[in-house]
Amino acid sequence: MKLRMMILVLSAVIVSLVSLLMVPKLINPFAMTGIEKEIVLSIRFPRVIIAALMGMALGASGAVLQGMLRNPLADPYILGLSSGATLMAATGIVSGMVLFGAFTIPVLAFTGAMITGGIIGVMGWRRGGILPERLLLAGIGVGFLFSAVLMLLMSVSTNEGLRRAVLWMFGDLGMADWSLIPYGLAFIVIGLFIALKRAKALNSLMLGDDLCHSLGFSPRKETTLLFIAVSLLTASSVSLGGMVGFIGLLIPHIMRFFIGSDSRILIPASALGGSMLLVVSDLIGRAVLQPVEIPSGIITAMLGAPYFLYLLRRRDVLGT
Amino acid sequence: MSSVLELKNVSFSYTGEKFIEGLSFSIGDAEFVGLLGANGSGKSTILKLLSGILKPDKGEVMLWGKTISSYRNKDRAKLLSYLPQVLDMNVPFRVKELVEMGLYPYDIPPALTVEDAVRMVGLGDKKGSLVTNLSGGERRRAFIAMTLLQGAGILLLDEPLANLDIRYQIEIIRLLKELREDRSISIVMALHDINLAFQFERLILVKEGRILGIGSPDEVLREDYLQEAFDVGIRVHRVKEGAFISY
Repeated sequence: MKLRMMILVLSAVIVSLVSLLMVPKLINPFAMTGIEKEIVLSIRFPRVIIAALMGMALGASGAVLQGMLRNPLADPYILGLSSGATLMAATGIVSGMVLFGAFTIPVLAFTGAMITGGIIGVMGWRRGGILPERLLLAGIGVGFLFSAVLMLLMSVSTNEGLRRAVLWMFGDLGMADWSLIPYGLAFIVIGLFIALKRAKALNSLMLGDDLCHSLGFSPRKETTLLFIAVSLLTASSVSLGGMVGFIGLLIPHIMRFFIGSDSRILIPASALGGSMLLVVSDLIGRAVLQPVEIPSGIITAMLGAPYFLYLLRRRDVLGT
Repeated sequence: MSSVLELKNVSFSYTGEKFIEGLSFSIGDAEFVGLLGANGSGKSTILKLLSGILKPDKGEVMLWGKTISSYRNKDRAKLLSYLPQVLDMNVPFRVKELVEMGLYPYDIPPALTVEDAVRMVGLGDKKGSLVTNLSGGERRRAFIAMTLLQGAGILLLDEPLANLDIRYQIEIIRLLKELREDRSISIVMALHDINLAFQFERLILVKEGRILGIGSPDEVLREDYLQEAFDVGIRVHRVKEGAFISY
């Protein structure tokens, strides 16, 4: 197990270095010109870090959510947080809100995702805590409602900024910038900390509420804490670079195949796996059709889905 | 015999409809109690009230003389464990990982190890198998191993012998009796198999959330009580080696 985790960490570091120094053009780190230094430090480095952070947040929140909702098809976007993020960003832009300059979209997206989290948290609340089934249904309902309002907004508005905001939400690492990283990092660290701290409780939640209670946890309280962790992780990821599909849904299943289902290991492994996949996808997206960049979400799905299907044929990945 | 767990005048309703009213009984130290009744008679509800999962509308559940809700979750889990009837977990945990969860309430693990618990339920050779690949009976034994590892002095087991073939039914009953004798564990087990009920020290026969009979198997397993509890004519035959039923 330790060896597998070390291999994962090492692979993540190697992939990040390759992305930093080799793509799209090879740069020798020991003999960088002024421009090359600028390219590596101001463009490539923040981009690699943002891809790694987003992948980490999505992988970890997928692992938490699938356990918490006891649903192998759950992904971080199923709760409608991303729809809330997009709608908030779009509404802000249409109403001319530019309070935060270049950060307007990320700040609005984060706020929108967290407000949506609050709404569905309240709707999923019953008898002193969150009920997973109610939360899931509330999330799907709110997600559809917000998507419909967004469509309405798009069909009546001619605002160019709105189009940009919506396109950005489909996943764009191109505007990666150092200034966003500390905020994203802070929320992701808090989300990961809560998720890891409650990993034993998450394991017992997967056995059902009654056994979770019997093992000394309060199922409602634990679900609420884990939901806060998922909301922070997803909102941070969406605000850093929009929505990137596949990672949150399938990385936890792939990691389960490698290291097992114990959340104490699965959460960090999914975080590492997610970050590695997004960094590689961004690297490939920048390299293959230069100067055109392929959005990372397309590459994550094109790389990950066939591999997942291969695993599914080889082995009982979903555990059913 | 001192009381370790007690229902005191407990009433409980599901969505406004009264299901249990003024129910009282207690479980003694190291007692082996069977909770017998037909499907829907309230056995599972009573076990969930005893375990603190369900909160009574009225009355109190006392654990070692204190109301169960006054315990911290972890402290309660060290004293009492509950195994539900439906074990529909679909996550591919390995047997070892599942059983190890029995140690979650502890900062310092108790004497029993995962290996001991797995061996006690006859799954020593399946420690590394995925729980999702086990048969229904093996899966149930894996959960029983987890409950054993939890090391609580009171076990509340909801139909733990369901899906087990006769060999494992006998083995689990033997194991539970040994635990009771060696470790002074109190066991309350819900069941609907009347022949198994003869194995218990004390029986509580329930129907629609109320007690029809409470006492030794000889006192409770009477044809009139059983007929009322199961709504069908049942004959009890007592022979030198024990007793059995026919219908």
